[in-house]
Amino acid sequence: MADTNSLKEQKPQISPIKGKLSWLWSEYSVIIAFIIIFIAASVLSPRFLDMNNQLNILMQVSIIGIVALGMTIVMLSGGIDLSVGSVLVLVGVVTVLALNATGSIWIAVLTAFIVGSIAGFLNGIMVAKGRIASFIATLGMMAAARSIALYIAEGGSISGEVSGFTAIANNNLWIFDYPIIIFLIMTVLVYILMHKTRFGRHVYAIGSNEKAALLSAIRVDRIKIGVYSLAGLLVSIAAIIETSRLNSISSSSSGVQYELDAIAAVIIGGTRMTGGRGKIIGTFFGVLILGILNNMMNLMNVSPHLQGFVKGLIIIIAVVFQKRE
Amino acid sequence: MTTSPFMTMNNIDKSFNGVSVLKKVTFHVAQGEIHALLGENGAGKSTLMNILGGVHPFDNGSIQINGEEVKITNPRAAQEYGISFIHQELNVVSDLRVYENMFLGSEIRTRYGFLKVDEMCQKTNEILAKLGVDIDPKEYVRNLETSYKQLIEISKALLHKSKLIIMDEPTTSLADHEVKRLFGLMNNLKQSGVSIIYISHKLKEIKEVCDRYTVLRDGELVGNGSMEEENLDTITKLMVGKSISQERLIQKHTFGSEVLEVNNLSSPGSFSNISFTLKKGEIAGFTGLAGDGRTELFESLFGYRKTYTGDIKINNQLTKIDHPRKAVKAGLGLVPKDRKENAIIKDLSVIHNMSLSSIGHFERMAFIQDKLEKERFQYYKEKLNIKVHNPRVTIDKLSGGNQQKVIIAKWLEVDTDIIIFDNPTQGIDIGAKQEIYHQIVSLAEQGKAVVILSSEAPEILKICHQIYVMFQGEITASFKGEEVTEDEIMSYATGSKREANEIG
Repeated sequence: MADTNSLKEQKPQISPIKGKLSWLWSEYSVIIAFIIIFIAASVLSPRFLDMNNQLNILMQVSIIGIVALGMTIVMLSGGIDLSVGSVLVLVGVVTVLALNATGSIWIAVLTAFIVGSIAGFLNGIMVAKGRIASFIATLGMMAAARSIALYIAEGGSISGEVSGFTAIANNNLWIFDYPIIIFLIMTVLVYILMHKTRFGRHVYAIGSNEKAALLSAIRVDRIKIGVYSLAGLLVSIAAIIETSRLNSISSSSSGVQYELDAIAAVIIGGTRMTGGRGKIIGTFFGVLILGILNNMMNLMNVSPHLQGFVKGLIIIIAVVFQKRE
Repeated sequence: MTTSPFMTMNNIDKSFNGVSVLKKVTFHVAQGEIHALLGENGAGKSTLMNILGGVHPFDNGSIQINGEEVKITNPRAAQEYGISFIHQELNVVSDLRVYENMFLGSEIRTRYGFLKVDEMCQKTNEILAKLGVDIDPKEYVRNLETSYKQLIEISKALLHKSKLIIMDEPTTSLADHEVKRLFGLMNNLKQSGVSIIYISHKLKEIKEVCDRYTVLRDGELVGNGSMEEENLDTITKLMVGKSISQERLIQKHTFGSEVLEVNNLSSPGSFSNISFTLKKGEIAGFTGLAGDGRTELFESLFGYRKTYTGDIKINNQLTKIDHPRKAVKAGLGLVPKDRKENAIIKDLSVIHNMSLSSIGHFERMAFIQDKLEKERFQYYKEKLNIKVHNPRVTIDKLSGGNQQKVIIAKWLEVDTDIIIFDNPTQGIDIGAKQEIYHQIVSLAEQGKAVVILSSEAPEILKICHQIYVMFQGEITASFKGEEVTEDEIMSYATGSKREANEIG
């Protein structure tokens, strides 16, 4: 619980320089954008503000949200991880296998963590030790992980045979479904990790100026491996939720384009593509913005085929605004 | 020598966000002269030049060229009036050929849009011949020395028929022979009627090449005149507002025990057979021309480069260093050269840059405590006289001298026994330079062992007990600091002399 305390201490750190509008915009543009979109949505559709709908949005973004938290760390370090969607599927498939084989939910969850972290660790080794560009390394992982998942599941879906497993994604605490709670807790933990610990500080330093970071006696390789492993671990948490929700995972259609949604949320959240600059809070609101847009288009009966167009537009607008600083 | 002023800036006022940076500055440049624009960092030189180059608008005043009032609203307009700005960071594209760089943005094309390569090469040749240099227009720029890259910028200016060229610290990254070449070139340009505004911190160079000077301090014109009539001390005084001694800053004092012993360190292509020792309280200087291998030597010692052979003993213990982390553990610190590329993390705040290498000092239960960091920074802010209002701004908002002080604070906080300073006063104004020298000397007095790498012999002479001169990767001479002159150092640094016996 020391965590919540240090979070409170963090708050005043953000606001002592208050004053100029331009500063407010450059620091909090994503929150302002969120508020505008939120207000617009509530005006456009009366059903939007309904509590159930709000919780529904949170529920829908929780999986991508957790993946996007990991993506933020990777992108802050100056890299990118294209493999998240495929690794999610691989983790899902292996987790269900472990679940069915052992009948233990705990062993299934542990398996998920291990598979996700190993995939991330391999990404990290390729990037840090192999000096392979992260785009290429994780592109390779993306193809490989999906292929293994398809092979194991013979191209189809596999379902869990242990009854309690679906509780993870479908039970709730008061009005909040577990995935929402997990997403919020992960956001807080990653926030603390990135802003209150040396790991976070070092990730920012590496993303901003890798050579200077190395000359500052930072173990650049280790940090990078840690970054990708952590992203993998977060993907495995998302994979558990995804699998638990329907008690099955499809090796061919689950996790498709998750990397794009996660990257979109990170970019909308104001993290710089080249690293070193960005905030976890930004990603959190980036995820919510994407969720609200999806929700609005559903409420307004926009063709699902057009939703990608709107998403694309929003990403580009977000980047254009960020360029102005 | 005096001719009609080619360019006049009259009573220029400029303020940013209500802070006045130029106050009624008047600045004349005659045709065919080399005019030094002097002042410390933050004196307003860059702002004045950016106004002339059309980057910033001015609030009040006027600019005249050849007696006619002009409005320079953007860099393109400046070019049309014959003004070219050569920035400190050279804007050449290394992966293009010489002629392609020359004509970048103004390529000569046939009416079908294809490039007229032969014509461009020929014109490039003409201009290069005028400047008295012989390079193949089709050579790739990445294969050229830095001074030639500068030359390409100058040629570009000539291609656009510039009458006035602004050079911002052109010699920072040049070796001595390259500086000579540049000065020759500047004199040729002067003969052909081109005016040059020359911005530099190196007063000796200015004395050598400039005709007149203008000094700014805190946004105001504090003096101008002819270079020949003035001695450097007077100008220095004008720049900083007080006189600065050129004397040696160090006292003779007794050194402590030996902390560093290097034996036969070699790295193919960079340096060979380097041996020296360093004691507590000693300041050792390594000097030489650019490319003499000293930076590579100490980057290897610091574990940044791994491919070297030889022994390093720290505190009499044989140490294998293959990562900067191990170097720090063993007691080595390095303030690198080229601050922007190697030292500052521009997206981190001033405080976070200070604490980056010693984060353990500010952690409690694995969490970084902002308060501890802030208090510590306050201490260094006063100790090193770092000028910053809000230390939470990113470090790139600070002037060069203040950035360097933050980096020094970072290494003071790490508190290693041995601190290496590579080119510690690069691009820093005289006032801040003095402060940094005093810090270095006081470090040694506290018992630290210090190594200074610098290509500026006067700097080395000023603060070093022991001086090593390097030439092509070898130590060619070593002297006691008080027993040698700048000329002697130069004769070893250029390879014209060589100490016969091995240095012990």
